[in-house]
Order: sequence, then structure tokens, then C-alpha cells
Amino acid sequence: MAPKSKKAPATIADKTLVVDNGAYTTKAGIVVASGEPTYDNCHVFQNCIARSTRDRRTYIASELDSCKDFGGLAFRRPVEKGFIVNWESQKAIWEHELIGSAKGGPRCDPRETNLLLTEKPNCPRELQKNCDEIVFELFEFAAYYRCVGPTMNAHHPSPHSSSTVPQECVLVVDTSYSDTTILPVYSGRLIQSAVRRLTVGGKLLTNYLKELCSLRHYNMMEETYLLNEIKEAVSLVALSEQQFASDLERTWKGRLGDRKPLDPSIVVDYKLPDYEQLIHGYARPHDPEKVRKGRAAVNHPREDILTLGNERFAVPELLFNPGDIGIQEVGLPKAIMESLNALPPMLKAGMLTNIVVVGGNALIPGFMGRLESELRALVPSQYVLGISRAEDPIKHTWLGAACLASQPQLLKEVLVTKAEYDELGSTLVARRFAGER
Amino acid sequence: MPLVQVLPNTASTAAPGYTYVVDTGFDPSKAAFNPKDRKRVSHRPGGRRGENELSARQQGVIARRIADLNRDNDPKQVIAIPSNAKSIPAKTQNTRRILAYQRQIKHWLDEEDAMLQQAAQAPTNRPAAGHTLRRQSTFSRGTTMPPTPAEMTPVPTAAPEPTSSSVRLTADSKTEQLLSVDDILPPPLNQAELEALLAAPPLSYAASHAAAPTPDGPPQRRFCDNCGYWGKIKCLKCGARVCGLECKNAHEATRCLKWA
Ligand SMILES: [Zn+2]
Ligand SMILES: [Zn+2]
Repeated sequence: MAPKSKKAPATIADKTLVVDNGAYTTKAGIVVASGEPTYDNCHVFQNCIARSTRDRRTYIASELDSCKDFGGLAFRRPVEKGFIVNWESQKAIWEHELIGSAKGGPRCDPRETNLLLTEKPNCPRELQKNCDEIVFELFEFAAYYRCVGPTMNAHHPSPHSSSTVPQECVLVVDTSYSDTTILPVYSGRLIQSAVRRLTVGGKLLTNYLKELCSLRHYNMMEETYLLNEIKEAVSLVALSEQQFASDLERTWKGRLGDRKPLDPSIVVDYKLPDYEQLIHGYARPHDPEKVRKGRAAVNHPREDILTLGNERFAVPELLFNPGDIGIQEVGLPKAIMESLNALPPMLKAGMLTNIVVVGGNALIPGFMGRLESELRALVPSQYVLGISRAEDPIKHTWLGAACLASQPQLLKEVLVTKAEYDELGSTLVARRFAGER
Repeated sequence: MPLVQVLPNTASTAAPGYTYVVDTGFDPSKAAFNPKDRKRVSHRPGGRRGENELSARQQGVIARRIADLNRDNDPKQVIAIPSNAKSIPAKTQNTRRILAYQRQIKHWLDEEDAMLQQAAQAPTNRPAAGHTLRRQSTFSRGTTMPPTPAEMTPVPTAAPEPTSSSVRLTADSKTEQLLSVDDILPPPLNQAELEALLAAPPLSYAASHAAAPTPDGPPQRRFCDNCGYWGKIKCLKCGARVCGLECKNAHEATRCLKWA
């Protein structure tokens, strides 16, 4: 929560559009004053415009739900590294999903609605300014608050108390599509100097898997959509570096003349979609005989199989060992400690008891176990470690922001109205969002 | 077997830069099983490039690969926006200009860095001096060593306040119990210190990245360029790692010169 502004508006609209605008998906929904928002109020859509060279159609955001052929689909994404850089495409997507008649969309009228919009930490100021100008001068929202998305997780009702004030200490780990960020939040306010970022996010993992599969199996460099589906279906995080090493043995083919059978308890065969009979592929345990028969295509349609071994765990391993591909950053557990070590001991102790993990990569099986055990080894024994994954890591930041938006007295303090913007201009408005007075 | 380890250089660019130093023998598969039994990295900053160090060209290849893996949009791909009769027109000059931008994120990050650099060089050119100075200190994190906790935590200017006004954490009972048993309760938080911490401006994007691994940590693990198993053998032509003869042949037939 930003500090109290001197000029709180007298009255505000009772409807707020809450938008957690991600590079991969956007999470959006209308929240009414004093309502009790839930995950179900959140509309999730792909934040992109896609073009198919096969059916020559262009798909805007949720229109992709009706797409039947994802082969060679090309994407245009308005958000890069987590920041809105292309307003031409972002405007088209918002008009389609937030204002227009997209299925499940909020269909709001901006002039009668407040906007609560999230951004990634460390956003370049020029991009913030562009965003504020578009929100007020183009969409003309009634009032608006721009904030660092993950900090909104402090506004979930605390498990320890029933009060409506933000939780005192929350360390948010947001491992999402663009990157992974670590944010200590004190009473709803971000401690900026201790924010840390890892280059590795879901996008890099998908692209890495695409590169590996294209080298080892088929050329799949134009199949981003498919590789993302494969990644979500097969990825797992090794429980420890020792487990990683033994998994590497279990998935090794052995030497020429001394072949080792691939372990079907870890190696999988992914049946690739043909976009005629099968739109979405699936994984099954590796069976060399079945692969051979499928390829032979006698008395049945040909089966295209992608056999995946060490790719399953070597790809998400980058979150813990970015150095495996030469990225000069420590892994996530050490980066969390780096952030905490920038805090006074009392705050460090408080943050350690309440680490909340959000973002899609938190759903990879094994991720939380590996993170917790490696953190435990790094945290001095006198500290208590409390770490949990949000119930729905993708919608949790949205719901936190929705909790703030549902409390009129808190919302009033942070909103800037259109009239105030017209009077103050974008520079002063940006300062107010930054907590400067 | 010699091994190369990548270490960050001190250049302050938005894209990661690399310098390479020689490492002495190390078997990654053994180290993974016995993390404590690792040999120390011996490194030579500066000096003539050893036979196992990667060339500037190889460094560039790694940096480009990471940039490729991290790219959001393919600049070669042009996808037009479908026309929409209900599209909101841009009424102001600001919004028309913003809608016309087709720049990628790199442009905005480079521009931000240039602005911070300028502000750092001319700290007194604006009436909002505090603003500029904070930007300067923000930038310095990106160009110098990673901050020590002392640097990151502003020293309180006021004398320590009495306990009554200091901030107490509502740690759960488990914390309090454990802390009191061990008698290591951290010093209470000083209000001025806390306010200074909360008022600190954001770091620049480049400065927000986690630090590079320290040289005394485990060396970079090396994998077979072809199959992903441990990279025990070095290709003499390009320096990439392979696991054995079979993968060496495959490597030479496909990616070998790519890394040269
Ligand atoms: Zn190999
Ligand atoms: Zn080679």
C-alpha cells in the first residue's frame, strides 16, 4: 500500500477492474466495493495476438481457445521482460478482452470504472509514463492505481488474524514467464533495495526445451506453442543435486557397444499432435517397441513420438543452476538469501517465516520441495523457515490485488482520478505511485 | 582434465558480459555426489589467455544464445492487428506517439541506463537533487561489486529510539519461543532505519539481477553438447563438451563450428 496521499478523491466509482497484465497470460476481473472476490472472478487469457500460416487466421488473446491447429503459430506479445512495450497490440487485446464481448471477459466501460493495474518491479520510468498516459488519455478510466504486482500478495487475509490491514512481513517469490523475482514486502510496501531478479522464467525454459528437442530429435524451432505444452506436461525438478546426478544416469543411453536400457520410470514418450485426429499431445512411459511399431505405421496411422529423458529435469534445473547454460547468476535459493541479507536482521527473521511462492513455474512437480530443502540448508539454524505455494499460483497476485480493490477505504488512498491526472500531469502521478510526496 | 569457468567481468552493460579463467581438474559427476569434496578453483584474472579459456568470440556466442533463449518477440515476424470498428481513437498527441512505437524492450532498458549514467555524471543539474542523487546511488549498484548488507541498509541518522517506539514483529509463537531459547533475538528495528529502507527508490532493471556465483563456490557444471549427459571430453576444435566418441562424432557433424 502506498502512503496516504494528500489529495484523496472525495468519491470513487464502486467498480474496479483489476488487471494483472503478464507477458504470457493476463488475469483480469471486476471487483465491487466491499465485495468478497475469489479466484472464480478472474478471467485468464493469453496476452498475445497469434497468426497461423496454415489457416491464415489471426487470433486475438482468448480466441486462441477455439484454435484447432497450433502448428507453426507465430505470436506477437505486447509485454517484453514483463513490461508493456507495444501499446498498439496491447490496446487491441484490452479492447477485445476487457471492453469488448470476449467470452468470460468483464466488458467494462472505462469511464465508469477504476483500474488497478500491476507491473513488474524495476520498470523503466519511460514505460511507466507511457502506460499512465494511455490509461488516462486513451482509455479514460475514471481513476487508476499502478503498482508492483507481487506486492499485492500482502493483501490476502492473513492466516493469523482477521484484520484487513496488509500482512506485516511477506517475502514474495514470483517465478513467472518473463523471469523470477524476489520481493520483500513490509506492511504492503515493497523494500525496493532488496528486490532481486533471476533471468530464468517460463519463457526461457520453453525456448531451451525447444532448442534441445530441435538438436536431438526434430526441428521444432517454429513450434513454440507445442513446446510450451510439452514442457508443462513432462517437466519435473530433481529433489537435490544428488538426485539430479542419479537421474542423469537413469536417462543415459550408455556407450556404443554397451547400451543401457532407458528407465521407463523417468523416460517418457510424448505423442505429438497431428492437428487432425489429435489437437493436444500427451506423455506415456517410454516403450521402445511401441515407438518402433508406431513409426512403421502398418495397419494404423503413423505415430510421431518425441522421447524425452534428461530434458524433463535438466530444463527446469536452470532455476536452481542458471550456470548450467552460462547465465552468470546464483540459483533461486541463494538469490532469496541475497535479498534477505539486504535487510536488517529483525526483518530478515520476519520475512523467513512467511515466504509465499507465486507464478506458473511453482507448479512444476518437485519445485517446492527442492526450493524448501535448499533454503533450509542456507538459513542459519536460529531462524524459522515458513514457505508455501499459493493455492493458485497463477491467479494469486490478481486475487491479492482484488482484495485491496474490494476495500474502499484502502483503495481511495491509492487511486488517482482522471481529474487529478488532468491537473497534475503524468510526471507527478508517476511520483505518487512510487510513494513519493 | 582442465575445465573452463565463466566469471562475470565488471563492465556495466545491460547484456551480460563474460571473462573466462582456467580451472584445474574437476569431475562434475563426482562433485555432484560429494558436494563437500570439491577442489578449489584456481583462477587467473587477467594475463594471457590460456589454452582452455574461451575466446571473445566464444563468449559472444554464449551471450547471444542466452539473449535468444530470452527473447519475447521475433523481430522478423510481422503480425498485423486486425481492424476493429469499435477501436478507441487516439485523441492526444501523446497517445498517438505511444501507439506508434515499435521498439523492443532493449531500447527502453538501454535508454534508462543511459539516463541513469547521465544523472550520475551530473548530480547537480536539476532542482530535484535528492531524486538525482538517489538515482546515482541506484546506478552504482549495477557498476560496482554486489552490495554488502551495510551498504543496502541505510544507517539511521537519529539515535536509536526507545524500545517502545521500535517496530515489533508479530512473529508467530514458534519464532519467539525458538529465538528466546537461543537468546539470539535480533536487535529491534529502529523506526528511522525502517522509514529509510521503505523510502529507498527502485533499483534499475540491470541492477536488480542476482549476483554471479562466487569463485569459491562449485565450478560450473559441464554437459555433453549433444545428449546432455556429463561433458567429460572436450572437443579440441571448439571447446564444447561431449560425453564420448559417439556424441563427439554427432557434435562434429552438427554444432561444432557454431561454438568456435
Ligand atoms: Zn553425449
Ligand atoms: Zn567442437
